[in-house]
Amino acid sequence: MITLSQRLKRKNQNEDTSTPNRAPIRDRLLVKEAQEMSQLLPVSCSIHYTNENDLSKFTLIVQPTEGYWEGGTFRFDINVTEEYNMVPPIVKCSTKLWHPNISENGEVCLSLLRRHSVDGMGWSPIRRLNDVVWGLHALFTDLLNFEDPLNVEAADQFRHSKEDFKLKVMEYVANYARE
Amino acid sequence: MADENDNERMDDNQKSDKMFTLKKWNAVAMWSWDVECDTCAICRVQVMDACLRCQAESKKDSYGKQDCVVVWGECNHSFHYCCMSLWVKQNNRCPLCQQEWSIQRMGK
Ligand SMILES: [Zn+2]
Ligand SMILES: [Zn+2]
Ligand SMILES: [Zn+2]
Repeated sequence: MITLSQRLKRKNQNEDTSTPNRAPIRDRLLVKEAQEMSQLLPVSCSIHYTNENDLSKFTLIVQPTEGYWEGGTFRFDINVTEEYNMVPPIVKCSTKLWHPNISENGEVCLSLLRRHSVDGMGWSPIRRLNDVVWGLHALFTDLLNFEDPLNVEAADQFRHSKEDFKLKVMEYVANYARE
Repeated sequence: MADENDNERMDDNQKSDKMFTLKKWNAVAMWSWDVECDTCAICRVQVMDACLRCQAESKKDSYGKQDCVVVWGECNHSFHYCCMSLWVKQNNRCPLCQQEWSIQRMGK
């Protein structure tokens, strides 16, 4: 990570003298936040950059070690747009899964990622990428929420039969979330 | 983690010397509060320095720094005026305490 941040600093210096940077704030924040994120990463998570010179696009891989989704490998594509940190990163789950807070199309329901919040729980510029990673990671444990579901069918199934829900989760893990 | 250990230690010490350890604990709490106040929580630069945006945009303009002032809300939280004015456009609340944002004073 030290080498990555050094390379980025060098890269930023080079850009300063040649082309004007289109998103100077985001890129400056990313240099700090990418390092912080990798240092504080939960043990069941890993980060992969599509292009290691572009810190704004990466994949978070979560491999839960407990709970219903244990044994699965779940990928989240994270895009930190140029307006960061006034807006949250855009997150899409690219692994199909059966989860009350993630749709089968990959939309993620996490209050932290809500751009316009009515309840004060949404995005705030004091949040960091590290908070996003921990939030996504916690969707498989502490933040799992059946009360305000995005996948209503999954939540209803859980209410009727926890066994059926568990079986469907395992079926999806076996079909779509093997490493 | 560190806090838990400190508390355990404090409990042990309290049995022998209550006054002394309480004093020490207060001092630690005060220090972290000061640090939080001096840094703009939006761009993570000291409020007395120019904000991240001004630093990036006016590299060659040495006067840019003068325009970048500090703003205090009624809640006593402080930010760069540049940073806060961008945020209130989409959400008129203090990012730190979620109270309705209203300016108490501006300056350096
Ligand atoms: Zn600032
Ligand atoms: Zn400024
Ligand atoms: Zn406040």
